[in-house]
Amino acid sequence: MARTVGQFLGDALGGASVVVKNEPGAGGQIGFTDVATAKPDGYTLGTFNLPAALALTYDRPAAYTADSFTYLANFVEDPNTVVVSKSSPYDTLAALMADAKANPEAVTMGLASLGGNDHFAALMMGQASGAFTLVPFKGAALARTALIGGHVAAGTMTLSQTVGFEDQLKVLAVLAKDRSSFAPNVPTAKELGYDIEMSSLRGIVAPAGLDPAVSAKLLAALAAVNANAEFQKKMAEQGNPMNYIAGDAFATVAKAQSEVAKGIWETTPWK
Amino acid sequence: MYLDLLHALPHVLSLTNFLAVTIGVVAGIVVGALPGLSATMAISVLVPFTFGLEPLVALGLMAGIYNGAMYGGAIPAVLLRIPGTPAAVATTFDGYPMAQKGEGGFALQVAVVSSSIGGIASAFALMLLAPPLSKLTLLFGPAEVFWIAVFAMCSIIFMLGGNVVKGLISACFGVFVSVVGSDPIFGNDRYTFGYLELLDGINIVILLVGLYALPPVLDLLESPLKTDTANENLGTEPIWRTLPRMMRFWKTWLRGSLIGIWIGILPGAGGSMAAFMSYNEARRASKTPESWGHGEPEGVAAAEVANNADTASALIPALTLGIPGTSVAAVMLGGLLIHGLQPGPMLFRENPDIVFGFMWQFLFGAILLLFLGGSLATNSFAKLLKLPRPLLGSVIIVLMVIGVYSIHGRMFDVYLMLGFGAVGYVMDKLKFPLPPVVLGLILGAFAEENLRLSLRIGRGDWGILFANHTSQVLVALTIAVVFGPSLKRRYWDNRKSGAQG
Repeated sequence: MARTVGQFLGDALGGASVVVKNEPGAGGQIGFTDVATAKPDGYTLGTFNLPAALALTYDRPAAYTADSFTYLANFVEDPNTVVVSKSSPYDTLAALMADAKANPEAVTMGLASLGGNDHFAALMMGQASGAFTLVPFKGAALARTALIGGHVAAGTMTLSQTVGFEDQLKVLAVLAKDRSSFAPNVPTAKELGYDIEMSSLRGIVAPAGLDPAVSAKLLAALAAVNANAEFQKKMAEQGNPMNYIAGDAFATVAKAQSEVAKGIWETTPWK
Repeated sequence: MYLDLLHALPHVLSLTNFLAVTIGVVAGIVVGALPGLSATMAISVLVPFTFGLEPLVALGLMAGIYNGAMYGGAIPAVLLRIPGTPAAVATTFDGYPMAQKGEGGFALQVAVVSSSIGGIASAFALMLLAPPLSKLTLLFGPAEVFWIAVFAMCSIIFMLGGNVVKGLISACFGVFVSVVGSDPIFGNDRYTFGYLELLDGINIVILLVGLYALPPVLDLLESPLKTDTANENLGTEPIWRTLPRMMRFWKTWLRGSLIGIWIGILPGAGGSMAAFMSYNEARRASKTPESWGHGEPEGVAAAEVANNADTASALIPALTLGIPGTSVAAVMLGGLLIHGLQPGPMLFRENPDIVFGFMWQFLFGAILLLFLGGSLATNSFAKLLKLPRPLLGSVIIVLMVIGVYSIHGRMFDVYLMLGFGAVGYVMDKLKFPLPPVVLGLILGAFAEENLRLSLRIGRGDWGILFANHTSQVLVALTIAVVFGPSLKRRYWDNRKSGAQG
């Protein structure tokens, strides 16, 4: 996402050059820390993914908190889903949840790593029925392979991670407010009687303490990027479900996500 | 599934991808020809540089180098009796005597034709065997993958030959390195000492470059090579005149190819073992075993066909299960991973153009070898072997440092690489085998993660590890590998003493 936004942001800022620097490592913590501690002059921006970026501030020492950033704009919101293998006996969310309720911890649920949206989604599902036995794989691809091979009974992953596997997977529900345009036939959990929403958000942030004039300029440029039809087309090609949330509204979402993570960490710490 | 194979063909034939294979083959021949520089090392130096490239271009370079180097090693083996790569040791047996008789040119031609045939056979094995095997891998859940890791680790320690205790120590070192970083389930920090750089664990490429590239370079600098070629005249004849004389090797080629493919698939064994086995079998089958070792061209054919036949086949377990058959395959696995290509059945489904393209590149690399290798086997090329060693060594060290720095753009990794280099140098001198370290790092992490996942699935019940047939077969294989060699020795000793008494 960073590269696609960067590509269009330069033009939106009137021909400025945007350099995208990869800073991989420690689940993004190295990059997040660099952005949080950079000079708030508007020349250093960073990508940000929720809830993981803020969830990790609870489970390990981090040099930033939710207040270390100026929240500019969120672009992508990829909702979590509940999936089972095509050959699974569970045909509906209700069947899966009923079994989990009758036999707590007997149903295994594959997911990609603890402390992220997959984990929180699985815990919320467990609270709504009976607890699942969580099996955190190293990445969604491995979780999906194990699910297809029948080594775990169910799984949760984001909607975009199920695309292309329609022949092997049954998506039982999507954990979002509304049905997704990527899978209009899949019901939301809410329709099925479970009020659970969880997703992975990806947006752009700057260090805290940004001059309001600078942040207004950046916000205008990011809004222009979002309005660009070519940008939207590119993001759709890459399989990104979009949800543009700008400025204060994004900050509110981030704070709320941070509180969700905090609440989960306090009641069911994962390490 | 074979349809995907055809779909991938146009991608491979694009100019850049084809160029990559060609450059790779030439570079491989040069690297292989220079004693001390192996394919493993060349590829591990190259891997960090391929970040910015398209995956197929990067893989094409690697496939080319692998094929080229396996033949390149034969050049100094024939001309100087110095195997350019470990796999070319068996080539010296008959290649060098041929050069002394003034048949060096013919020896190199036999080597290049045999290498090419071995490579082609191996590429076909990869194309035909990997797709069905990849379907089978859905059977492998965490418990089964755990046993695969244990089996692979045991087989490399016990079948590598040499000292089992030293092999075990090497493997343990590798497993220890795999422990560094956050743990695979809960993300607790282990041995990171507060460095965020260590949180993701130690990148396999850093270990590989340090371990495999630094010690040989230091070796190179330590011992200035004396290049007193016995016979400067190669006596090269045009290849169309020599080719008919090689046709009588067809049985050796067939046998050597099969041996090479089989050895390649087995984890732990490598090109040198394939070459030795093929050479021995060919001599046993020969009508004139007494001429072997005194310049028998069939000996060169046997060794060279086998050490190229294990190239592509070593990638069969690597691509389908993530278990590298040889150390070169281990490095290539690292190359795949940095391009975000996770080995396993999903690789075939998600990136068919890349996986199948990679297979085609192996085939083209082997065919190109015939032409490029043939034209390089000349007097002028032999002079390259006389490059000043210090120059060569320092260029490679600079490349290594740049390469490792470019992985994450930080000096931390460079220091780490130099540290591993020092460890590797000491281990090399004390004759500790290096492949178990690499496999320990890859498989140790693999084993831990999958053991803990399967115990979570089984909710703490260890019985889950033996719950199905796939697991039970793997346990049996592991036991056979661990106890097989010592039982066989005892049985043989008994029979021998029985015969005496």
